[in-house]
Amino acid sequence: MSQQQTKNCITLRGSAQIICEYLKFAMNAVLFQRGLYPPETFKTAQQYGINLFLSDDPQIKDFLKNLLTQSEEWILNKKVSKLSLIILNVANKEVLECWDFNVQYEEGDVELSKEKNDTVGSKDLKKIQQEIRDVMLQVAATISYLPFLDCRCSFDVLVHAKTDCDIPEKWAEAEPVAITNAQNIQLKSFSTSLHKMETVVSFKLVD
Amino acid sequence: MAKEGDMSLFNDVLEPFRRVINTDPPKDKLSASAKLNFSDSNQSIKEVFRSGKRKSTLGTTDLGTPEKRIRSDSTSNTASVPPSPWEAKRLKIDLIAAKAQITKLEARVNHQHTIRKEMQILFEEEKASLIEQHKRDERALSDMEERLQLIRRREQELKDEYNEAIKQHKESKIKWDKDKIELQKQIAELKDKLLEANVSSKDQISEMKKDMDELLQALEGAQQEVEILKKEVTRQTSRAEQCTTLRTQFEKQTFELQQLTNKLKELEYERDSYKDWQQQAKTAQKRLTNMAELEKEVVRLRATERNLRDAVCNKLLLEEQVHLLSTKVETLQPLQQELHEATVKIAALESSLEEWKTAAHNHGIETARALSSALDSAFSGQLNAVAGCTEAQSLLAQLKEEVATLKFERDKATTKLTDLQTVRKNQESLIHRLQKRLLLVTRERDSYRQQLDSYEKELTVSLSGDVAGGAGGAALLAARVQQLEKSLQAHRDLLAAHDSEPRDRALEIARAEANKYRDEAETAKREAAKLRVQRDQLQAHLEKIAAPTKVLHLADNPAAAAQKQMQVDLKSAQEEIKKLKAALREGGSRACPEEMQQLKTQLENSRIKLQRMKEEFTSSAQEYRDVCYMLLGYKIDRTGHKNYRISNMYAESSDEYLTFTLCDDGIEMVHTDYSASLGELVELHLHHHRSIPVFLSALTMELFTRTTMQQEVTSEEC
Repeated sequence: MSQQQTKNCITLRGSAQIICEYLKFAMNAVLFQRGLYPPETFKTAQQYGINLFLSDDPQIKDFLKNLLTQSEEWILNKKVSKLSLIILNVANKEVLECWDFNVQYEEGDVELSKEKNDTVGSKDLKKIQQEIRDVMLQVAATISYLPFLDCRCSFDVLVHAKTDCDIPEKWAEAEPVAITNAQNIQLKSFSTSLHKMETVVSFKLVD
Repeated sequence: MAKEGDMSLFNDVLEPFRRVINTDPPKDKLSASAKLNFSDSNQSIKEVFRSGKRKSTLGTTDLGTPEKRIRSDSTSNTASVPPSPWEAKRLKIDLIAAKAQITKLEARVNHQHTIRKEMQILFEEEKASLIEQHKRDERALSDMEERLQLIRRREQELKDEYNEAIKQHKESKIKWDKDKIELQKQIAELKDKLLEANVSSKDQISEMKKDMDELLQALEGAQQEVEILKKEVTRQTSRAEQCTTLRTQFEKQTFELQQLTNKLKELEYERDSYKDWQQQAKTAQKRLTNMAELEKEVVRLRATERNLRDAVCNKLLLEEQVHLLSTKVETLQPLQQELHEATVKIAALESSLEEWKTAAHNHGIETARALSSALDSAFSGQLNAVAGCTEAQSLLAQLKEEVATLKFERDKATTKLTDLQTVRKNQESLIHRLQKRLLLVTRERDSYRQQLDSYEKELTVSLSGDVAGGAGGAALLAARVQQLEKSLQAHRDLLAAHDSEPRDRALEIARAEANKYRDEAETAKREAAKLRVQRDQLQAHLEKIAAPTKVLHLADNPAAAAQKQMQVDLKSAQEEIKKLKAALREGGSRACPEEMQQLKTQLENSRIKLQRMKEEFTSSAQEYRDVCYMLLGYKIDRTGHKNYRISNMYAESSDEYLTFTLCDDGIEMVHTDYSASLGELVELHLHHHRSIPVFLSALTMELFTRTTMQQEVTSEEC
């Protein structure tokens, strides 16, 4: 863990790193659970006190690394409001599933911040990890009710950034997606006392 | 001192007795005395120690070997019984000497003891070492034994191996022997074969030699024949030359003849032409006589010709005029039509004017001005009317609105009315039901009443029956039964009415309700879907409004990559499909080119084989035919199905042939021109002998004789 912590003191950067780490594991978990890539391309890693799957595919690793380093910067500057992992049918580009990771910015510990002359939080790291673990377990459990993806699928991550945000190199603007007849399921949320992360999965309801 | 010495001596003397009486009963005393003696002697020895050094040494020796001394003392004591001073002295001296000797001896003994001890120690050490060595030896021995056993075992194994090897050797030897024998046999066989082959080859060689000889002979014969033939040829060539010379002479003569005949013909032709000329001259003279008449006629004809030329000129002029006129007519035709139309219009206008005029007269207007004024007034009137009209229209609109509101109200009222009607219907149905129920209830009541009556009657009957007896009883019972049946029927009807109607109605109602609810659900669903879409849209909109964001993503995301891959795959798949289709169109020849090649080669081979066989067949057939021709003198041709044409070797021309057909019961000759000329032979051999071969041979013979005769004749001629 790279965030600085002295007497339960979490800096803004550390919090952003926690968020991005969660995003990495959550996205990997989604890719694994939803069967977008064959299970043998995943390897297990111990995190948050449970075994989680990380993709070993160099392309996916590269993609997520690029995405999350940029996202961390944006989260640090409060530019991002939402990250959406969309799962779409390759054949007709139809969006089948959307995992929204809503980022909300919180005050943190005001007194401590004044003391340190920096915005810091004072939440116990163990508690944060406990919350993240609960969310991860919920993500793993989604497989029981999400519809079966029976076509060739791929994924993309859309970052909902503020309009004054510059578009860096290798990035492009995308169309916002909408799922017709969508069913939303809100998973548990967690907070680092500086950032609050809500995870929502929406999928096409088949009646 | 002496006493003590005496005591000791005394003791010494007593010693053997004690030994003798050692086993006697007063043991305790003796043992006690012995003990005492011992203690005494000890005491004496101690005193001796005190007296001098020697004594001390004696004392020590005394401890070591008491018995010996005692014995020596006892012997000395027995010899000298009366003690005299000298004797005593001598005894003492002896004693001392003895003692000295004793000490010496004891020293020696001691020495010996020490030596013995040392020796013992040495021996013991040696023994230990020997034991150790013995143990070592034993160990070595055991090792050796083990080794020996090992060696024995090895030996045994080696022996076994050796035996096995020997066995194998024997077996292999046997095998090899067998092989050897077989090989020898083979060799012998091969030798035999070789011999046979030699013999056969020799035979063959001899045969071949014979053949060669024969062939050589044949060659010689052939050469001779060739020579003969050459001679013949020379002869024939000479003859041929003669013939050619003759032919040339003949040709020259014929040529001359032809020339002469040509000349003759020419002369005849000249003669004919001369005759013609004479005739022509005669006709010319006749014509000259007719010349004057002809000239007159010529003049007449010229006049007629001039006339005709004038007529032609006139005709051309007329044609031009006609053309001009026709064009004019064409231009005039539309004008005429227009004229017609104009006249028609004028007529119509006049009629309308007339009408106008009559109308004006009717209104009392005579002139055009009056008409215009009238028209003005009419216009103003019309304007007023239009104003009125607009008012009326506005009124109409108001009225329409009123009507619409009224209609709306009416609709409302009608809906209310329908509702009320439905309510009324319901109520009516309820009333109806109630009436029915009332009816049923009344019927029930009636039936109960009847029952009551019947019961009363029964009661009365039973009462009266008892009184009146069996006479009227039966009739009464029958009546009662009838009544009861009626009531039963009534009950049944009642039950049925009760059961069926309300149930059906309830079912219908339920069904209608279900349908209604279903429709409602359907509409609700539709509405829900609509609302959902609307909600989604609104939400998106709301989000946009709430937090203006823009959506970003990495340009090279997995989805894009997957899509590209998909397109590439699609393209490749389509290409493959095209290829496969093309391959399919070609007839799947590409499917297995090897097999194709194989089949082709096979086909080629079989073709070649067929070709060869055909050649072989044709050659052999030709050979067969030649042989038949040579041997039998007839060439047989198959001209069709079961038809054979045979021509003889000696036939004069190709027209001379016979035809035969194969029938079910043999072969028959068919009539030909040639066969007609062989009447005699046919008559004799076919009709009389009934044998075709004889006929044919006879024919051959005849032809042969004929040809030879001819040849002879020709040769004679030559």
